[in-house]
Parts: sequence; C-alpha cells; structure tokens
Amino acid sequence: MTPGERQKLRLGLAFISPWIIGFAVFGLYPVAMAVYFSFCDYDILRSPILIGTENYTYMLQDEIFWLSLWNTAYYAAFAVPLGLIMALLCAVLLNKEILGRSIFRTLFYIPAIVPLVGVAMIWLWLFNGQFGLVNYALSYLFGIQGPLWLDDPAWTKNTLILSQVWQIGGTMVLFLAGLQDVPRSLYESAELDGANSLRKFWSITIPMVSPVIYFNLIMGIIGGMQEFVKPFVMLGPDGGPERSALLYAVYLYQNAFTYNNMGYACAMAVVLFGIILFLTWLAHVGMRRHLYYAGD
Amino acid sequence: MSSKPTQFLRFTILCLGGFIFSVPMLWMLSTSLKPIDQTMSLPPTWLPTAAHVEVFGRLVQVGASDIPEDTADDQPVSVAYAYQWHLDLPDVAEPVPVRVLEDPMTDQLDTSIRVIANYHWQAMINGRSTSVRLYDPDTAVPDQGTIDVLVPLRDGTFRRETIPVADLGRVYDRTDEQVDAAISQEQEMTVSITKLRRHIIDWDEREFLAHPLTAEITVPAGSIAYSIHFRWRNYLEAIKEMAYFPQYLFNSLLLCFLTVTGTVISCSLVAYGFSRIEWPGRDKVFFIVLATMMIPFPVVMVPLYGLFRELGWIGTLHPLWVPFWFATPFNIFLLRQFFRTIPRELSEAATIDGCGHIRIFLQVILPLATPAVAVVALFQFLATWNDFLGPLIYLTEQEDFTLALGLQSFQSRQGGTPWHYLMAASTMVVLPVIVLFFLAQRTFIEGISMTGMKG
Amino acid sequence: MILPPWCRRVFLLACATIVAIALTGCGDSRDDRTADGRIILQYWEKWGSFEAEAMRRVVDDYNASQDQVLVKFLTVSQIDQKVLLATAGGNPPDIAGLWGYMVPSYAEKNALTPLDSYIAEAGISGEDYYPALWETVSHRGFVWALPTTPATVALHYNKQLFEEAGLDPERPPQSIAELDAMAEKLTIVELERDGQTIQVRYSDMTTQEQAGIADDSRASEFRIIQLGHSPTYPGWWLPMWGYWWDASLVNDDGTRVTPASEPNLDAMRWIESYTEKYGKNNMLAFGSSFGNFGSPQEPFLEGQIAMVIQGVWMYNFIDQFAPRLEWGVAPFPSAYPNTTPKVTILESDVLVIPKGARHPDAAFDFIRYVNQQGPMEKLCLGHRKFSPLVKTSERFLQDHPNPYIEVFIDLASSPNARTTPLIPLWQEYLSEMNVSINSVYRQVIEPEPAMERVEQRIQKKLDRAVRRWELTKDVRLAEWEQMR
Repeated sequence: MTPGERQKLRLGLAFISPWIIGFAVFGLYPVAMAVYFSFCDYDILRSPILIGTENYTYMLQDEIFWLSLWNTAYYAAFAVPLGLIMALLCAVLLNKEILGRSIFRTLFYIPAIVPLVGVAMIWLWLFNGQFGLVNYALSYLFGIQGPLWLDDPAWTKNTLILSQVWQIGGTMVLFLAGLQDVPRSLYESAELDGANSLRKFWSITIPMVSPVIYFNLIMGIIGGMQEFVKPFVMLGPDGGPERSALLYAVYLYQNAFTYNNMGYACAMAVVLFGIILFLTWLAHVGMRRHLYYAGD
Repeated sequence: MSSKPTQFLRFTILCLGGFIFSVPMLWMLSTSLKPIDQTMSLPPTWLPTAAHVEVFGRLVQVGASDIPEDTADDQPVSVAYAYQWHLDLPDVAEPVPVRVLEDPMTDQLDTSIRVIANYHWQAMINGRSTSVRLYDPDTAVPDQGTIDVLVPLRDGTFRRETIPVADLGRVYDRTDEQVDAAISQEQEMTVSITKLRRHIIDWDEREFLAHPLTAEITVPAGSIAYSIHFRWRNYLEAIKEMAYFPQYLFNSLLLCFLTVTGTVISCSLVAYGFSRIEWPGRDKVFFIVLATMMIPFPVVMVPLYGLFRELGWIGTLHPLWVPFWFATPFNIFLLRQFFRTIPRELSEAATIDGCGHIRIFLQVILPLATPAVAVVALFQFLATWNDFLGPLIYLTEQEDFTLALGLQSFQSRQGGTPWHYLMAASTMVVLPVIVLFFLAQRTFIEGISMTGMKG
Repeated sequence: MILPPWCRRVFLLACATIVAIALTGCGDSRDDRTADGRIILQYWEKWGSFEAEAMRRVVDDYNASQDQVLVKFLTVSQIDQKVLLATAGGNPPDIAGLWGYMVPSYAEKNALTPLDSYIAEAGISGEDYYPALWETVSHRGFVWALPTTPATVALHYNKQLFEEAGLDPERPPQSIAELDAMAEKLTIVELERDGQTIQVRYSDMTTQEQAGIADDSRASEFRIIQLGHSPTYPGWWLPMWGYWWDASLVNDDGTRVTPASEPNLDAMRWIESYTEKYGKNNMLAFGSSFGNFGSPQEPFLEGQIAMVIQGVWMYNFIDQFAPRLEWGVAPFPSAYPNTTPKVTILESDVLVIPKGARHPDAAFDFIRYVNQQGPMEKLCLGHRKFSPLVKTSERFLQDHPNPYIEVFIDLASSPNARTTPLIPLWQEYLSEMNVSINSVYRQVIEPEPAMERVEQRIQKKLDRAVRRWELTKDVRLAEWEQMR
C-alpha cells in the first residue's frame, strides 16, 4: 500500500466510523449474542444457562412454531406478489399524463405512510363482521353475505393480506421512478414494428423495470417474513381465532416478552434469519438471469 | 399516443381505485365525528346526523337511530329523549342535578323521595378559591374552629392543610366533569317531590352529565327534524381519555427530531466516505453495509434489550434514538447513490483551492444533495413516527409512550373503547403524516426518482 | 484541516444538543426525594377510572398520615409485561399492583422481594384473610404479596327478561341442566314461518326449525335476537369452567396439568353444546354485534344476553349505564348442586415489591397501611368489592351500595371457592386453553383431542420448568432465606 493509499484508507475509515461503531454495537454484537442465547435457557432476570441444542429440538416438536411458520409463509406468498403486481399496475396507469394524476398518486401513496397502528384500527373497524362497512357494501352491492373476517379463522390471514395490498404506495412510487427512466424511443420503435400495448408492456416495460422489481421483491420478502404490527394490534398476541393469523414475529415476541423464554425466542430469530437469507438467495438466483440494467 | 377510449378507461379505473383506496380514511374520519349510537347503526351512514323533536315545548336533540327512512310522515314512531332531575336548594343559585333513587313518576304531590347530589368542598387557600377534599370525610364538619383539608397539587398528589371552617364552602357540581372526580362527594337527601324539576337535555350530552336518564316519547315521524351534525367533541374526549396525550405527542416529536438529525448527520458522513473517497476495500465494505439490511429486527431484539438494560436505558427514550446516530444502511445507500451523481470536477476544483474533505463535504456536496437529504429526513421522520415495536419493548411508563404506542394501549385497555373515540384518536395519529406529505409532496416523489433505485 | 468558523459552530451546536438531551431530556435517574426530604415511592397500578380513583384516595390518606414517605400513584397499561421488563431493566417501581395469578411466575423468575420478615414484624398472619387468597400470595414456602381488592364471580341475570319468558324472576337456575333449559326459553330467534318474518323463543320453535338453526349452511335463514346464555361471554374464565364440574386443572403438587380429565371434558362438551344447538355462524354473528364491555352497549346491559357470569364489579357498570335494569345475582349453578354447591373463582389484586426496588422498607410500610381494616374497607368500598380480610366492620356491609354483596362474600367463604391454578406457567397454560376452547366452541376440534393437545404442550413446558427449578432450587432458596 502506498502512503497515499494509506492516507485515503484512514480518511475513508474516519468518515465511515459512525457506521463501523454502529454495526459493531447494534449489529455484530447482538447477532452473536442471539446465536449464543439460542443455546441457553435465558429469561432476562436470571443468568443464562447453556442447554445445548434443546431450544432447537423443542422447536422441531413445537406445533405452534410450525403453525406460525405456515401462517407467515401463506401470508408472504400472497401478500408480496399481489402487492408487486398491484403496485406495478397502478404505476403503469399513472405513468402517462392523465387528468388529476398527482391527486391519484397521492391517494394511492398515502396509505403506505400512515402509522401501522392507525391502519390496524381502521381495519378492525372496517372489517367488523356485524357493523363493518365492508360487509355492508358486499351485501348492498352484490347481495353477498360477507364473512366474519377477523372472527373467522379461514379469513384472518386474507384480511391481513388485503390490508397489506392497500399499502402498496411505497412500492408503486418506486416503480413510477423506474418507469420514468424507460426511454420513449424504445416504445416508438416497437410501435413501428406493430407491437400492441400488451406486447410492449411484456417485452419493454417489464425488462426495463426489472431491477426495481428485484429490489422490491427482496424488500418485500424481508418485510413480509417479519410482519408484526398489524397482526399484533388487530388480533392480539395469540393471533386471533385458532391462532389462524399468529405470524412468526408475533409468536417470537410472545415467547420473548410474555413467556420470557428469551432463549427460545433467540433460536426462533436465528432460524428466521436463515429463512430470510435463503429466500433472498432464491429470489436473487431466480431474478438474476432476467435482470436488465440500462446502463450496462 | 393512446386513443381516447383507452384513456377514458384508464381514467375510470383510476377513479375506482382511488375511491377504494381512500374509503378507509374517509370512514375513519366519518366515524370520528359520530355520536356513539350512530357508529353501530345499520345501514351505516356517512354523515353523522342529529334528530331534533319538540319535547314538552322545547326543541331538543333526541335518539332516533332505528327509524326506517321510508316511514310515512303521519306514522307515530317512538324516539328517546334524555333528561336529568334538577333540585332547587335554598342557598344554591342554580338548580342542582340529582339522581333519584325511586322514579318520581307519580301524581302524589305530598311524597318525599330520596335523591343523591354530587358536591365538593371549596376553600380559600392563599387568597385563591380552590377545590379541596376533607382529610376526614367521615365525620361531620364542625360549626366553628379549624379543619384539616387536602389541597390538590399540580402533580396529582395532595398537601394537607389546616384552615378555619369559616373559609370552607360546599359547591354542588352541575356535572361530573367540572371538578376532578377525586374530590367529588355524594350526598343523599330526602326532598319533597314538588322541589324536583325535570330538565330535558340533548341526547348527545348524556355521556357528560352526572345523572342522565332516558325515556321514550311517541311523535309523528314527520315532526322529526334531521340535520348534519359533526361531533368535534369526540376529539377532546379522546384526548382526555388517553390521559397523557400531550405527553405522547411531545415524546413522538422529540424522538422524530433526534432520530432525523442523527440519521442525516451520520448517514451523510458515511455516504461521503463510501462515495467520494477512493480507499482500498471500499466496495467490499459497502457490500457488507448492504448485507446488514438483511438482519431482521427480531434477531437483535433480545440481545439489544439486554444491552440497553446493562446501560440502564430501559424505561427511557434512549434506546429509541441513540442507534440512529450511528448510520442506518438503507439511508447510507440512498445518499451514496446521490453523492455519486455529483460530478468529480466540483470536488477536484475545491481540492485545488486547498479545501479538505470536511469542507468539501459541508460546502460542496451537502448543498447540492439537499433533495436527497430531505428524502432521508422525511423517511426517517415517518419511520420514527410510525414505529411501534421499539416503544412497545423499551418503554415502561405511560408518560414516555409515543403516539403510536399510546393509541394501541388506548385500544387494548381492559374493557375496550368506544369506536368513535378510537377513530378520533387514530385520526390524530394519522393526520400529521398526511399533512406532512402534502407539504412535502414534491420532495418525496422527486427525491425518490432522483435517487434512482438502481442497485 | 482548517474549518470555516460557521462549520465549527454547526458541529459544536450539534454535539451540544446531543449531550444536553442525553443528560436532561429523558434521564433515567428518578428523583427519589421531595424538596422537604420525603422518600418518593413509585407505585404502578393497572387500574384506570373509578378503581384508580379509589386507590388514589387511599394513597392520599397515607401521604397525609405521615411525613416520611410520598407515594406517587401511576396507572400503567399492560402491567404484567411492564413490571417484569422494568424489573429486568433494573429500574422497577417500588410497589406494583398485579393480579394474584401472576405471583407464582413472578416469584419463580426471581422478580419479587419475599415479604415474610416484614409480615412477621407487622403482625399480619394468614388467618386474617380468606384461605384461598393466602394460597394465592404464597409460593414455594414464602409470601410474595399481600391482597388488595378481591373478587368472586357469580351468575347475573336479567329479571325483566325472566318475566317476559314466563320464568320466576326470584328463582335463578339451580343446576347447569336447569340453566340450559331456561336459556332455551330466554333465547329469541328471528326466522321465516309461512312466508312471514317472525320472532319466536327457541323453546317454541318446531323440531324442523331447531334442526335448521343448528345447520350452519342455513345460517342466513335465522337471526338470534336475544340469547339466554353464552358460555363464551365474557370469556374471561374459559379455562376454569371445569370448576363447576368439580374438575381441577393441575394436580396437588403442581407438577402435572390435567386439562383432559373427564370432568373438564364434560365442561368442554357443555360449551360445545351451545354452538351445536344454536348454530355456529348464528352465534358468531350475534357475538360480533356486542358492544364493548364498560359501555352502555354491553350485551347484558342492553338485554341481548339474559344470564352471564360476571364478577362483583358488574354492579358498577349496571349502576352507571343501566340504572333501570332489573337484575339479580346468584351463585353460578354447578353441574352437581348436591355434592359441589356454591362454586366460584376467587381472584384478587395484590401488591408486591419488585426485586431491586430502591426503598423496600418504605414500600412495605405502605402495603401494611393498605392492609389495615380501615383503609382496606375504604378501598374495597370504592371498588364496590368486598374486603379480603375475614373480619369486616358492620358499617362496611351497611354502606355497601351493591345490593347483592353478601352473595359474593358468601361465595368467597365457600369451600368451592377456587383460584386460578397457582403454577409459574399459568400464562402459557391460559393462552393455550383459550385458543383450544375457542376452537372447541367453533366446532373445529372435538373436546378430547383439543384438551389432550393442551396437556401435551403444556406438560412439556412444565417439565422443563420443574427441571430448571430443581437445578437452581438450592441457590434460590438460600438467597430468599437471606432476604427474609
């Protein structure tokens, strides 16, 4: 290393020192401790006792753990792709000049930024089986007797998914940004070749925004697997009737702070980390071949 | 160019979508302005209404929620009105609302009945008239001499004082609210029925009065006058019910201020280090930064709790803002993207002028990066304002709660809460975010586009 | 590196801000002395509204009665978690008001201060209280808390609806079988008969109609308007329904859970019989029309349900929201009225000193004060409950506004007054039971497999807790012995 490089290194490290400290204290240390605690019996008040892999073997037999995993998988498997598709559709609709565009953009975007606790409250009220607006609208417009939503085990997860789809504004805005970057010339030349709208969408728009799709998909997976606030507030710490909407993060929270099984909670957290890494890798491998960067 | 029909179709779809997307918010707003009996009415109504009817010669608001709309004008229907019994006491200026222990619906004018009235003691303390409590409420007040009273202090506790009996006076409360329930007392007395007067009150006022009763009256359906009537009072009530509302608001704002400043300062410094200085291994380290985005919060939740406990920070606001002074990966990423678009020539020119990196950072890069910094600040503000899990874990005392947590604890309190207050409280938590968005709409949208989400 | 002066100013200002806020903004050093030298005690309580008001008055009396200590009363929501986390965080309140059932788990987790020596010094003994209450505050041979306001549960019934149904309002049901029969008379269903929409009592419905209402696929043809009884309303003591069949939830030494015992299964079958009879979807739809507890729209106050199981506090809500309701109280009937009469659940709020509290001696002085007859009766009268002390003054009963208070007191002294199971794992057991019973009620799973599932899951956890206790027993006991 030349002296100049060395000085640069020192300077660079000095500038990124806040991150280095933060990462060490709020990232590396807790993750290492979480792994350690996951091999312990630990309840915060008493010192941890090493118990080997008991937390993990218990997890294998813990039906509620599997249930929460299944609930979360179901939730993420529908909420993430649905959200992506809806957000992309809205973005495409809003991409061209149209009367009142900024108003629509605002209407779609606002639900994404309001506090989740508020959203949960509104949803509780909207989807009340007896007095909720949704069931009234269903019976008034279509003559359908709506389900009891949050009171019916078959519908709790779907209600959560619906509320997630309502909050796609953030994803939509990112898509909009991506669509703005698609050069018009591409569309024009495709039109000369006689391509119809669908064809253009499929062969130009999708590939051109694929990096945004990729980014949103990964963010969606990471967020979806950790979903906590809405299920917790809407259905309480037990995940509603039959634990039908007990999501992974809620069960983890319950173990940590209601039952004080910190060791078990840490084991669950470590497993969650593994699952998220695996899914991200899967998404990465799946998308890699279809990624297209305009600049490359 | 798209043809007219497709444009029209697009517009229709957008209108429909926009409507569906805004319904929940509108429903929240509408519920927050209703009286309780209209929140649970079927079919649901969008606008809160009030029904007025003439009862005993006075036009008052009545409860008429279950009357079908297609009722003929001359058909008799029964509506409910609310009233209180008032009692004339010899040395009290205004009639006192009382609670009757037997229903005085009799024609016998010579009966006496038992009633209960609320009162509290008022005394001159340091020259000011103050509501007080007797130290020993079980014994009768003597005619002369001194007596011990408890004087309420600002923090909710009491101070014991000895005062002359002459300075003490009994005040009858018109409602439960006018005086703190802690010092209100009940008095039972037997009075002649002739002293009682039925006082008709507005239907909505029931919740706020000491001893409301309701009765039904039959009137022709046509005589009911309906009008739209927003109950802004729900907001005041919700604030009162939430007990520490101003405190919650202050905490939320304080945390937002601290996290936003911390994030902006630390992330821009770090982003500068990753984008404007060429140092060996830089990109590898940056990859690590991106990878840390993958760490789910639940993984670090328990050990961080232990860490903050060692620091003695549980039950304080520290855990909720200190970490943000140490740069968060996503914001580093955003700012780095933006810093990279600033032409090299600018900083090179500054270097030739003899500026160090700190100065370039402050005088060249930051001023040019204002839009990106604004986006980061906005995102951080929203994240803090909306955060729920952090406060849920780290805060123990009600007065440290943030608005989001306060709202949830308001909802989950034993016994539940009435929907109209809950929606009013939710509106107060949600509204600032919407207002902020409208004020900073361009920054948001442009900032995101400018940042260009290319990995 | 030479900085322009304004840069330095900005930096200094930023640093100063951080430091200033870190030092002042939300310091964790709680002030524990008043200006005039009194010790300030933090007292966290779970109550809001009138119950908090009653305790606040007692606190004010205590503060005025001496000049050494000033108790600060704070209402804290979700207190079960908050106190534990604050204790773990090393910053607990000096006094906390918990529910009695939390004592074993808190004590086992080493989160409380044993009170034995204090109690001996103050001359308080177990004989002063109802026996079941003393069991509640003891665990592993130590006393961890003292009771404040107790409560028992009983049948509350609507006399007016009884009259309308042709029942004698002065004769509440004497057994579960009779309750079920009365409930059929008290249930009103809206249905179509000969093309007319009419409302009939369940007992007057034809056999076909009764079969129809039980058939979930035909739920839309029926609507429940009024219900005689619902085993899941209010649903706060679901796991304890077995007590009315003389069942137990744990064995004597607390090492085995027994949710799947035959009497418990009988109780579960009874719960399920209601959904079988009235139809799951109708019951759920009716249930989602209930207003909140503590509002005038509460179903019992509204007359939607004729008979509910409720605690002694129900009087307050009747008095406040439905003063004209004609109501009665009786012991909730048991399945075997001859052998196990007067079954009830006896619960109590308790005061504890969390471990690591800064002023345990002063804190106990306050607890001792509350447990004297005068202040205790004042508090319990304010709550409209009865006193946990066996000895009560004449005046207390005379002044008591609840016309049925003696029913509740009588139940408290009954040999069949039972507490929640006193095991450290009650929290897990409770949520597991609640989930399973709700599933049974919704006919998702039969009682037997449901209860076996609970037993399997909780027993596994209990074994682990017992093992852990065995490992740490000697250290713990020695430690507590020292603190005694």
